[in-house]
Amino acid sequence: MEDYKIKNIAGHLAKSFLSNPLTPILAAAILMLGYISLEVMPREEDPQIEVSGGSVIVAIPGASPKEINNVVIKPLERRIREIKGVQHVYGTAMNNFGMVNVQYFIGENRESSNLKLYDKVMQNMDKLPKGTMPPLVKPFDIDIDIPILTVAFYKIDDSPNRPEETIKLYKMIRDIQQDINALDNVSKTTLKGIKRPQFNILVDLNKLSGYHISLGQIAQAVKSISSNAPQIDTQTATGQLVVFGVKNAIDDIDDLRELIVAQYMGSPIYLKNIATVDYSYDIQNYRNAYITYRPGHEKEAETEEKEEEQSTNEAALFRNAGHQITMTVSKLKGTNAVHIAEEAIEELQAVKEELRAHGVGFIVTRNYGERANEAVNELVHHLLITIFIIALILIPFLGWRESLVVTIAVPMILAATLFLAMMTDQTINRITLFAFLLSLGLIVDDAIIVIENIHRHLHLKESEGLEFDEIIIRATDEIGPSTNIATIAIMLTMIPMAFVGGMMGQFMKPIPLNVPVALAVSLFVAYVFAPYLARKFIKFKKHETHEEPEAKSPDIPEDMVLTLKKKEEDEQ
Amino acid sequence: MENFIYTILSKKRNKLIVIMLVLMAMAGSVMMIPSKLVLARMLPGKSANTFTIYVDTATNASIKETKKVTSCVVDYMTKEKEVTDMEVFLGQGAPLDYAGLVKGSALKALKNQAEIVINLTDKHQRDEPSFMMVHRIRPLINKACGALVPNTSIRFTEMPSGPPTLATIVIELYGKDAKVMRKTAEDIAAVLSETEGLVDIDIMQDDLYTKYDLVPDKEKIIRSGLSVDQVNQIIFLAFKGMPIAVKNTRDQQDQIPIFLRLDEQTRMIEFDNKAALLNKLSSLKLMNVKGMMVPLSEIIRVTAVESSPSIFRKNLKNMVTITAECDMVSQVYPLLEARDKMLKELWQKYDVAKIDGINTFMFDLDVVDHKSGAKMLLRWDGEMKVSLDTFRDLGGAFISALVLMFLLMVVYYKSFALSGIVLIGSFLSIIGVIAGHWVTDKIQLYATDTHFFLTATSLIGFISLMGISARSSLLLIDFAKSLIAEQGMEKKRAIAVATATRAKPIMLTAVAIILGSLLLATDPIFGGLGVALIFGSMAATLVSLFFIPVLMDNARAMMPDKYFLNKLEVKKGSWCVITDNISAILSPKFRDKK
Repeated sequence: MEDYKIKNIAGHLAKSFLSNPLTPILAAAILMLGYISLEVMPREEDPQIEVSGGSVIVAIPGASPKEINNVVIKPLERRIREIKGVQHVYGTAMNNFGMVNVQYFIGENRESSNLKLYDKVMQNMDKLPKGTMPPLVKPFDIDIDIPILTVAFYKIDDSPNRPEETIKLYKMIRDIQQDINALDNVSKTTLKGIKRPQFNILVDLNKLSGYHISLGQIAQAVKSISSNAPQIDTQTATGQLVVFGVKNAIDDIDDLRELIVAQYMGSPIYLKNIATVDYSYDIQNYRNAYITYRPGHEKEAETEEKEEEQSTNEAALFRNAGHQITMTVSKLKGTNAVHIAEEAIEELQAVKEELRAHGVGFIVTRNYGERANEAVNELVHHLLITIFIIALILIPFLGWRESLVVTIAVPMILAATLFLAMMTDQTINRITLFAFLLSLGLIVDDAIIVIENIHRHLHLKESEGLEFDEIIIRATDEIGPSTNIATIAIMLTMIPMAFVGGMMGQFMKPIPLNVPVALAVSLFVAYVFAPYLARKFIKFKKHETHEEPEAKSPDIPEDMVLTLKKKEEDEQ
Repeated sequence: MENFIYTILSKKRNKLIVIMLVLMAMAGSVMMIPSKLVLARMLPGKSANTFTIYVDTATNASIKETKKVTSCVVDYMTKEKEVTDMEVFLGQGAPLDYAGLVKGSALKALKNQAEIVINLTDKHQRDEPSFMMVHRIRPLINKACGALVPNTSIRFTEMPSGPPTLATIVIELYGKDAKVMRKTAEDIAAVLSETEGLVDIDIMQDDLYTKYDLVPDKEKIIRSGLSVDQVNQIIFLAFKGMPIAVKNTRDQQDQIPIFLRLDEQTRMIEFDNKAALLNKLSSLKLMNVKGMMVPLSEIIRVTAVESSPSIFRKNLKNMVTITAECDMVSQVYPLLEARDKMLKELWQKYDVAKIDGINTFMFDLDVVDHKSGAKMLLRWDGEMKVSLDTFRDLGGAFISALVLMFLLMVVYYKSFALSGIVLIGSFLSIIGVIAGHWVTDKIQLYATDTHFFLTATSLIGFISLMGISARSSLLLIDFAKSLIAEQGMEKKRAIAVATATRAKPIMLTAVAIILGSLLLATDPIFGGLGVALIFGSMAATLVSLFFIPVLMDNARAMMPDKYFLNKLEVKKGSWCVITDNISAILSPKFRDKK
């Protein structure tokens, strides 16, 4: 059988890489790339579902829902129907305003969807009924709208809330917000439950009628002194520039208090006479946020010193800290939530002492970065355990050397797949890792089949007198066609899953994306590295004289246990 | 092993027994789904470290009333040991999450809306999963706080384990007559609330309440030298207030508005009736062009009218939405139960009819009101629709996978019979998948008292199993064929030998898959996939070791054709399977030349 012809690509691959010095370097490079990918790829808990849509809000002050429905909603809905790719149009007609929510099919490109919606509204601006305010078009942006980190700021002491403190808290949080927004890859930060500073003029109705003043007069009086004017410049006779301007007449709250609203019986009536005027926050804003927490149970990385405290007041009661401000932080698309969350928290820890000095504490109330990291690490851990278990179980069947070959092959396959995933702009998330876990059972097969066949061939009568390399190449080549076809069959079964539509299809997409790739890589690894590793690890003794006469057909290997026993004898 | 297979193959009776056994197992496992031994659901619940409570009070409730309800809920939750902190967002949605995105949390801006975020201790250190906790406290909180303010709905929103939907069960009622729809929606909601397993039932529509219209008396307004516009503005300014000017600041990021309104005391109206309102308006005076003060009550009339509720539309049709959540159960069964109930119980008031045809809207009902004759369409949406769509798509994926595999096999073997055997072999792993779910369900019921559902991920597992079991059959057929062709072995013996030889790698790969999926099976979402793989590959191994040989024995294509024998000698080492196949597709003449 000296003129053995290699029939399959499997044999060719095995032959060309078997004694190639570059093979181990390639293997190391693949492993390195995989590890780098694992560290560098953006981590998420769940894969991003591309949801496109938006709302159009049109206000007509004073219109009833029925009017809005007929005048705004119905025509607008018809126009939006003209857009391709719209799945559902939801209309809501309320008092004073109408809103149309547009939902595109899942997977429609977000940017162009937003553009189409905006374009459609702008095209029909001339058809808007009279008396409507300009329509607002607000596209959904899942990346920006869903914050990855939320932090609640609250007062530490129990003193009642004073307006000045509320304003001070607001100012402080605004500054922190600015700092966090400056971090890399942070896209949007918002504050919820904020109270903005405001001059409040609260008029006493009884006094108003007592002094015979109308509300309109007050409004007029305030408006007339609060105008801002630009600075003016002119020249002197010698050509120098002279700059001057009218200063805003309201400098602080006292300017407002001392404002003369009207004359009554000859004496001036100041604003303070008929109204309470103060510098406080926007009292008309009914949106509020409160927090109740268990002291000593703060989730954020309260440093170790706190730990002891925590254990002592185990049954700590809830403290109602009252008013709170929640800051939300979102990330840019395709960036790593883990790093952004970590950096933002670091930034907060830096100002923690300063905040404490002002009587302000904070709790991290949501941290998707940490959650994503936990989820990913847990699954990577699961992957490693599973590889280890498979390696262990292979030892009694194949022998520990052969098992070791498979154990090395698996991480290489995963590493190469991960690297390809990174190259195609995927993120590493739970579903990606589940795809890996799922493919684990499939990808070991190719390596197992190759190794098993090499193992089998070593004990065949036919192989007697052959070189080790020759046996390996033949064994690999023999199972080539059926392994190829079987692997292609599995790849084919996974591919149609990529065409599943809807949210679920998007959610599961990493599976059809990664499993076929992993399988293709596993074929390559099984033909290239498995023979190479087998040559390195498996002890070979030339079957010069075969001690046991073969009774049966040479193609039938002995029972597994027998094989093992024999192998042991061989080695002794 | 070899002899055992040979005994099976050698007698017709034995072969029949094997075939019968397989058919029985197949029928038995498929029957488990309609007989509810195995429950289907899209995705199971997932334990999270947080959940959100949505509070909606009556449409005309004040912010104080809403706060009363949220405070009650928060007070109640302080009794829970595992809660670390709670954030109440009044008159607005909590920071968006995936569930909130679909449930319209971002659009919340009314005084009767609030959300409470509840953060729990880490799920690894907590015995009770969040969905169990929600299950436990839901009735308690609804009992304690649900009745404080009329028409309050308190709903619990957990982190969805997969893609989020508006609610688990969503009923959309389309129609034209708003009043009839309102009535019908209430009747439907009543049916839902009687259905076991459904909770958090909510009709998404505004409540009706009394409001007051101030009708301006045109003649009096013109005579007293005022304008309607002025009246509008002053009323707004007095009771609602608005910023009338702004002041720029040097040391802040925002401008400071100057806000004008009546003070708290004088703004209040004593009672919710016409007289009190008129009384208040009489003390509010307007100044006309001559500088005279005119009381507001002189120039307007007050009439009490019914509020005009918001109109909701979907796809250009008026619609009322009724939502419900499932409490720890699959949505399929309560939905079917509620639908049956509707068909049975609503006949007194409505004509309810099923809609023909099978599609993903197949549960829809036509509803006709007896009194007014108004026609309505009742459509089931929510998780059910998504599940049906997903199962349909996955079913399509499954069928295309079958077809693709069949084509590949035909190209490889050039025989329909052998390709059919491979397909049947892979399809039969469904026995293991379903039976596996039944076993796991029983184990889990015993261990944690929760059901284990057949989910979308189980289907994915099944699809990938097909490939795996195809591989086993393929190895068997290939090996047996080469034994017959190259060594001229007798067919039955060759099959038996091939099975015995290949048993080891087939079992090895099965063991690898089973072990690889063990940790997968413990995950709440991918448990279905894990279980499908574990039990499916067990079934696949049994099928390929015992059933496939029987089929192979019956297939004539196992015997090498003359051409094949020739080819063996002619063949000079073609490159790979792909070129093999290409040359196989090409005409024999061409190959002969080669």
